[in-house]
Amino acid sequence: MELPWVLLALAGTGAAAGLGDSPRGDGAEGDGGSEGLQSLFLGGLSLLPYVPRVPPAALPGKLTATTFALERPCCVFDRHVDASDAVWLVVAFANASAAFRNPPSRAEVPLYEQLPTACSYMTLETAAATYACSAASPAVLRVGGDTACGGQGGRDPCNGPLPSPGPYRVKFLVMGCHGPKAETRWSDPILLRRGTGGTAVPPRVPRICPAVVLASLRTPHPLLVSPCSVKVGGSLCRRDSGTSTFAHRSYRTHHIPPALRQPLPPGCVCSPPGLGCFAHPPPAPCPVK
Amino acid sequence: MAKSDDGIRILQGLLVFGNVVIGMCGIALTAECIFFVSDPHGLYPLLEATENDDIYAAAWIGIFVGFALFALSILGIVGVIKSNRTLLLVYIILMLITYAFEMASCITAATHRDFLTPNLFLKQMLERYQKSEPDNNNDKWMTEGVTKTWDKLMLQNQCCGVRGPSDWQEYTSAFRITNNDADFPWPHNCCVMDARGSPVNLDGCKLGVPGYYNSNGCYDAISGPMNTHAWGVAWFGFAILCWTFCVLLGTMFYWSRTEY
Repeated sequence: MELPWVLLALAGTGAAAGLGDSPRGDGAEGDGGSEGLQSLFLGGLSLLPYVPRVPPAALPGKLTATTFALERPCCVFDRHVDASDAVWLVVAFANASAAFRNPPSRAEVPLYEQLPTACSYMTLETAAATYACSAASPAVLRVGGDTACGGQGGRDPCNGPLPSPGPYRVKFLVMGCHGPKAETRWSDPILLRRGTGGTAVPPRVPRICPAVVLASLRTPHPLLVSPCSVKVGGSLCRRDSGTSTFAHRSYRTHHIPPALRQPLPPGCVCSPPGLGCFAHPPPAPCPVK
Repeated sequence: MAKSDDGIRILQGLLVFGNVVIGMCGIALTAECIFFVSDPHGLYPLLEATENDDIYAAAWIGIFVGFALFALSILGIVGVIKSNRTLLLVYIILMLITYAFEMASCITAATHRDFLTPNLFLKQMLERYQKSEPDNNNDKWMTEGVTKTWDKLMLQNQCCGVRGPSDWQEYTSAFRITNNDADFPWPHNCCVMDARGSPVNLDGCKLGVPGYYNSNGCYDAISGPMNTHAWGVAWFGFAILCWTFCVLLGTMFYWSRTEY
């Protein structure tokens, strides 16, 4: 009777060994049972094949000296998240990304202020529903665009400017009530611009630290920009070519207010501070520890 | 005798006609140089900050030369009609002096036009635009002039930088010292503005979304008026000098044929 269980355990270990090398296809439709079983063995962390990248559109501001833009992941997390999950962006120095370890809970998330020491941080904490197929949202995320936060010693995630040109690697991490649930692959190294010539002295480059994960958290606002349109039966948003996305649609971003902290409305439980509650159903409460 | 009389009359007629043309061109030159000196496009602070505003010096000389040409042409007409050797001698000497000044002005304007390159204005913009700590009063004056001129240029011509907004990203600048890169990848004057003078979409402008920022450079808006200025002074002056040369030769010949 123990033989089937031994065989299952061996299969699970084999899958875990192969997980780091190749993406586990999440296109395994109708395989919920084995997914659940595998996630049971892998600690519940799904690896999504999505690779974050800088938008290919010709935007002069997509890479500056302290910020960069990312394509918004659309329809990537829908099958793996609940209403109470938050999607974080992990930003790490490229040489530190391999050593990054997902934080086991929200309390242990490395924040923007820890970037110089931990060489990574997590920001852009967003409700998972914002990246849903049916959500209307801006087509890019801007990492490093908030200059008013940081240095306050709070636990709020900060999307502050990056202190050095990098290169950086990013990935998205879905954190649930019990810890990380899903992650995307690491992006290619993103090297920021560095001004040359001119007149001023270039900014000092801080020491490169070991791998640290950066999650950029963006406070979501119900700003409708370009709704994801879902193909019938497909799982990807329809994407126009980069330039036409902006040329033909009205691009209205939202202004990120300087103060991230907002009073939690009653009934929003297990939602990160500052996230607020929107038209989406409130996140399911986490079990009390 | 009749033939030489006729010849002299024809020569007198030609010289009077020549001097009338010189007088009118002198007035035109004065008016043109006053127009350039008045700086209708407001670009003089940029030239002043390069510490080489010789095309303006050429225009100032042009004002006085034009007026001198007008006065001398009247003197010449009177001298030719009266056949007065003294008057004609005075005319020739003063006209040669004026000729020399106008030659200097034209050559200055023509050669300094080559000085006005994109890199010159780019370097100046990067060094002086919104420079926060000027070294001395002169530097402060120039910095304020450059900053105000660029702000006005970018707003009125809907342009950004010398070649484009990427100038602010590719090069270090005084602007970058006082303005952080995340909020100001380029100055906010590069953004498309609404009727009240504030950006239509600041986030779109920072990202460089077409339609929310000005993507073209201001070099054409600077070099266009300056080239017109330099060429106008130089080539009109050369044209006047060519005509004056002929009239002077004729006047010298006429002077040698008259008697006291």
